[in-house]
Amino acid sequence: MDDKRGRFEAEVLPHLNAAYRFARWLSRSPADADDIVQEAVLRAFRGFDAVRGANVKAWLLTIVRNCHATAYRQEERRALVPLPEEHDAQDGHALVAATPGPEGESIRQDESRTLERLIAGLPPEQRTVLVLREIEDLGYREIAAIIDVPVGTVMSRLARARAALRSAWLNESTGEAHGLS
Amino acid sequence: MACPEPLQLQAYFDGELEALAASQLEEHLAGCPQCSAHLEELSSLRAAIRRDVTPVQAPANLRARIAHALEAEAGAAAIARPAPRAWRSRPFWLGALGGVAAAAGLALFSFLLMSARLGGTLADEMVAAHVRSLLPSHLIDVASSDRHTVKPWFAGHADVSPAVADFAEQGYRLIGGRADYIERQRAAVTVYQHGPHIINVFSWASGRVLPPANTTRNGYHLAYWKEGNLEYCAVSDTGWDELHGLVSLLKELSERSEAR
Repeated sequence: MDDKRGRFEAEVLPHLNAAYRFARWLSRSPADADDIVQEAVLRAFRGFDAVRGANVKAWLLTIVRNCHATAYRQEERRALVPLPEEHDAQDGHALVAATPGPEGESIRQDESRTLERLIAGLPPEQRTVLVLREIEDLGYREIAAIIDVPVGTVMSRLARARAALRSAWLNESTGEAHGLS
Repeated sequence: MACPEPLQLQAYFDGELEALAASQLEEHLAGCPQCSAHLEELSSLRAAIRRDVTPVQAPANLRARIAHALEAEAGAAAIARPAPRAWRSRPFWLGALGGVAAAAGLALFSFLLMSARLGGTLADEMVAAHVRSLLPSHLIDVASSDRHTVKPWFAGHADVSPAVADFAEQGYRLIGGRADYIERQRAAVTVYQHGPHIINVFSWASGRVLPPANTTRNGYHLAYWKEGNLEYCAVSDTGWDELHGLVSLLKELSERSEAR
């Protein structure tokens, strides 16, 4: 038991930032991301014995994605029912309606974060693949395992995400010297 | 070679193409401005993403929540961890230390104002220190079950030299020591493990004639006692009986060493 906790802290917790980032991109809400990551780390700890030698980061992100999917389904079921925690209600709406929360608003005002905001505006399935590839630097096979789709689907979603992002970016910077042809 | 499929070019860009296909594609790229331009687009988009997207980090309070949850989940497993680094290298710990210093200052202030409330403030401070010690890498500064290692360590790191021994036979395993800041001094903390529970024994020099009464805060029991001018407080989530078990062992130990 002692050994398990020590190994877990050494092998899994270094990926906590990645798990948190991913949860933020999935849920678009810091408060939800906190809950998702905590739940995911606990689940990871319970299942830790089974993953020796596997790609720990991809494995942890898979659990984050599953926890988000569970939370998302719960939110959908009670989408219009007021939630007990006042700030969760707002986040819950943001989750269901896929509109930016208060945080998205503050990002909007920050012009230097153009790409961040545009990525947030992508359809969720494209956003997920793009974030895992460009920000978490994962390979096609790892991404396929995390979101549980074939590698071919990862490739086509990634291409669509890049095309959509690029055209949104070009729209945004029309007339501005962004160094793009 | 004809122009590759867009997905194949993308796979090349992402480093997913096997060596042979990649070298063929590179040959093609050399003579195809169109494909080269597309590759350049992918590359400038990636550069822009990595420039614009904030490298978000998990917040400290989330880390603390997770540490707590793991603690509850793992119970006794809390102890086995890599050798702790010096606490000075941890910004979070420094922040916590500042908080403790502030709390200790407040404790003195309230002592001057109304000494009756001191016991309460001290208990809160002790529980806060105990809970904080259960966060990852905060429990132990010197990990050892040998009192000849732990006790000398205190000489350089704390203001007092408390009674220390390993009571593994009686069920209280000495697992290490730590310095903490209690009552405006560097208190010595000896850490024992009893079953799945961690017991922190704080010790500091005290001018009080009588130690505060034993108390329970947030589910943690606090047992106080005094030996000479040293005040002790054992804090844990064990039952009272288990906590008193360790307290009497430590009292016997102090008496024996005084008699010698």
